[in-house]
Amino acid sequence: MKSYNKLLAAGAMSVLSMSAFAGSETPEGKVQATYPPISSDAYEKFGGEYGVARWTEALFKYIMADNRINHIFAAHGKIDRQIALNKQLVSVMLGAPGVEYQGASMSAAHEEMKITLTQFNAVVEDAYLACEDVRTPYHTCNQLIAALAPFKRSIVTR
Amino acid sequence: MNGNIRGFGCKAATVLAFGASIAAVSSPAQAGIYDAGKVLATSGVNIIDGAAGGGITPWAVIAGYETNQGINGSIHYTYANLPNYSLNSLGAAIGFYDRLELSYAYDLLPTGSTFNTVGLLTNTLAGVVVQDSGIDPFNTAIRMDIFGAKLRVIGESIYDSDSLMPQVALGGFYKINHNQELMKTLLANKTKDFEAYVAITKIFFPLDLLVNVTVRYTAANQTGLTGFGGPNKNKREFRPEVSFAYLLAKNIAIGAEYAAHGKNTDGRGVAVGGNVDTSVLGSITGALNNIGIGGPVGNLANNLNDTLTQRESDWFDVFFAYFPSKNLSFVAAYANLGNITLTPKQTGAYFSVQASF
Repeated sequence: MKSYNKLLAAGAMSVLSMSAFAGSETPEGKVQATYPPISSDAYEKFGGEYGVARWTEALFKYIMADNRINHIFAAHGKIDRQIALNKQLVSVMLGAPGVEYQGASMSAAHEEMKITLTQFNAVVEDAYLACEDVRTPYHTCNQLIAALAPFKRSIVTR
Repeated sequence: MNGNIRGFGCKAATVLAFGASIAAVSSPAQAGIYDAGKVLATSGVNIIDGAAGGGITPWAVIAGYETNQGINGSIHYTYANLPNYSLNSLGAAIGFYDRLELSYAYDLLPTGSTFNTVGLLTNTLAGVVVQDSGIDPFNTAIRMDIFGAKLRVIGESIYDSDSLMPQVALGGFYKINHNQELMKTLLANKTKDFEAYVAITKIFFPLDLLVNVTVRYTAANQTGLTGFGGPNKNKREFRPEVSFAYLLAKNIAIGAEYAAHGKNTDGRGVAVGGNVDTSVLGSITGALNNIGIGGPVGNLANNLNDTLTQRESDWFDVFFAYFPSKNLSFVAAYANLGNITLTPKQTGAYFSVQASF
């Protein structure tokens, strides 16, 4: 009985630790670890659900005005859905509790597009502009940049 | 030396011509090999040796704003105002596919009061001293050409934020110091030499911090401005250099750099007669005393004996870098270069401007 209790406790612990990591799981299903880790209050500093929503809308405003890359997003279509998925992704990356990313993996979503590093960096530049737009400080913005940067390897295929 | 000044103008023309040739590929159509896709500030600035890096230390970043999609480049002019010298560096660097960097810099170091004194002394003692010291009183400028190449070997300082893997580059310089007589006077073994280095750069975005460690394999004295090696040998050694840049904003960085220097001519005198160390001054002092010249002249020679001892210090700087756009950036720094040859406490302001295409 005692050992059964121990097992139960261990099981509960593992469930707890899994749920703790669930907030930082990438679309690939792996934990997005950065060195050093992004600050634990990054989601809160970003303004929570409302802040992430406003930031993502600002991002797409800049992307769709950016002649270097807007044609790629326009060709993909369904901008509202792209915005919604990006809100989920950003929330997950910032450690939002209880948010799930429902889109395709980064590599699956981009492999047909033959994205260049120059185009990827254009989105990074628009991400910084979006941060300025919604008055998110540079340091807070960098927490998100740190978490998203490794996606370069699955998004950039040229 | 008007020739030096004209020479500098000539170099400027060369660098600007280089710039124009880059500009020729930078058509707005962006078709072809021109690319400016790097994120702002991530190509660093151009160091006085011409390579991309901080102010004095080459980093693992490749010059210009190109990604693997094309070619870009930058030109720079740097001016440092030191008590006994002014350092001018004019150069250009071109980056190929964020992989290979080729650079050139022309460094011009007009020397000040101390070299004037040595020059006056050697001119005055022309009867005793036969060798050309390479010092022309009031008109001595050290000139050096620096050719550089750098290859990014592995890693991406920005995108590998999920691991500790840094960006690593291997590079080298070939430096040609044009003041051969003066280098003999300063007891340097060579006037032309190569340097090799490995640079390791990592950006820690969660901390807004860039860290760079470079190890340079070199025999340079004062980066080669006072030659390479010492009185008897040209022994290269590994010297560490460290840079920190704290990113205050996407277009502002502040930081500090440290570069270890060698001791090839540290504690040595200067040769003002033949291949003899400043010990010759001892005999001059003795001779002057023997023939009954004491007083001011004798004392002058004695004092010079102390004054004419070379020293070399590690270099240190703190910098403020501002990147208003990818096309133009500025650096203001405080440089502490310590002892340079005969002159102590060479600290001063450092300004640099670079333009990219």
